[in-house]
Amino acid sequence: MKTQAELKAIAQFVAEYATRLMGSGVHTSRVVRNTKRLGEALGVRVIVSAFQRVVNFSVFDDESGEVCSEVVDIPPLPISFELNAELSALSWEAYDRHLSLDEIVARYREIIARPRIDPIFTLIVVGLANASFCRLFGGDWFAMSIVFTATLLGFFLKQGMQSRGFNHYVVFIASSFVASMYASVALTFDTTSDIAIATSVLFLIPGVPLINGVIDIVEGHVLNGIARLTSALMLIVCIAIGLSATLMIVKSGLL
Amino acid sequence: MTNTVFWQTIADYNRMTWPVQAVLVLAGFFLTWRLYRRPTPGVKRAMKYYLALLNGWIAVGYYLVACDARPYNEVMALFWGVMAAVWVYDDVVGYTTFERTRRHDLFAVILCLMPFVYPLFSVLRGLHFPMMTSPVMPCSVALYTIGLLLAFSKRVNLFVILFLCHWSLIGLSKVYFFGIPEDLLLAGALVPALYLFFKEYIDLNFRSDTKPDRRVMRLLLAVMCAALGIFFLATIWRQIAILV
Repeated sequence: MKTQAELKAIAQFVAEYATRLMGSGVHTSRVVRNTKRLGEALGVRVIVSAFQRVVNFSVFDDESGEVCSEVVDIPPLPISFELNAELSALSWEAYDRHLSLDEIVARYREIIARPRIDPIFTLIVVGLANASFCRLFGGDWFAMSIVFTATLLGFFLKQGMQSRGFNHYVVFIASSFVASMYASVALTFDTTSDIAIATSVLFLIPGVPLINGVIDIVEGHVLNGIARLTSALMLIVCIAIGLSATLMIVKSGLL
Repeated sequence: MTNTVFWQTIADYNRMTWPVQAVLVLAGFFLTWRLYRRPTPGVKRAMKYYLALLNGWIAVGYYLVACDARPYNEVMALFWGVMAAVWVYDDVVGYTTFERTRRHDLFAVILCLMPFVYPLFSVLRGLHFPMMTSPVMPCSVALYTIGLLLAFSKRVNLFVILFLCHWSLIGLSKVYFFGIPEDLLLAGALVPALYLFFKEYIDLNFRSDTKPDRRVMRLLLAVMCAALGIFFLATIWRQIAILV
């Protein structure tokens, strides 16, 4: 039987755990499953009601009939599949080994304190990935190298603006414009310039929200799914605005 | 754009603007000397505005006016106009400090003098004024900027470095497309400069709560620069093969 204080401690931890998962790019049903599993490991029943920006939790102790509820904001966190996998594994570890709340919290703190990917490393790897996209779409080696450096410029601007707290949509418009504008230099050479311009903005495509949105809808979290897809669609519109601005300047038209 | 149009626009630019170019070179020489010898806050600020002026000149004087006959000259003008704006922004926020590190002095001085090697290279190739490269052209300005930032690299604006990297790539492609082997100087200088800039940036900004560790980051940088170096060497080799 849990006391009200114990239930509150569990609810607070479960809330932190779940919002971190949601903020790091996990689809809703996985968050719900992991959170329920964690609750089960701690001897309570967890009911989750997840929205785009907020999550409601109710933690029940069926023995005493006590209930504790929490409403928590979802923080905007960088997407991390590694963190998501480790946090999921933590819920299984807690379930299989019947860990106490203190042990789970200690493991959780250890996981989230692990080093994050260096921004310069991300910058270089994203540049290489985008150049590879250019190749996949039929770009030649010169177009690839232009896309590589244009991506470095666009992504560096994105990192800088995000760290200064600019509006998300403004960041996407500016990054898309800069990346495509610098890639448009390919037009002056006899190369696959159209492919270079088109693929220079692919690093901005919000793949995780798009995939999560579809999964959420398929798994019954329709509201969350539509919210995620709408958010992703807005970002795609922003990319299109930036790219259109470049095309209007360099080609005096969109086609 | 044909080779003829490319070289004709350069000839027009040199013929029309050589007095302005001479003034810009003298101003650059004076400010660089002051930055080395008496780097007061006023001189550092003046250097930023000089670089803004120089980039603005390339945007307007070179691309918009002299290279009007080239297709997409407005795009190039926009690039350099943005760089001029970046230098003004840099002064407003006080990012680049122009503090000398003395670590790459010799290399930096060589790069700063490279704009004068450009016309010499042209003369050695048998070109004559005005149809030859000059010290105030996009690639020579890029080389001068790299040299200057390398000499005063305590805190540099990475956006400027990435732009110069992008421009070096364009310079390298001009070797192929427009037959201007002088631009190999820029491409050749970029690889070690890029390595040094990024290495210092990583050292300065590295945080213990990030991964991969500093050793791996340096290794990755070395691999990237080596790949770039091989790419450039292959280009130079091909150019030599054409000449021979």
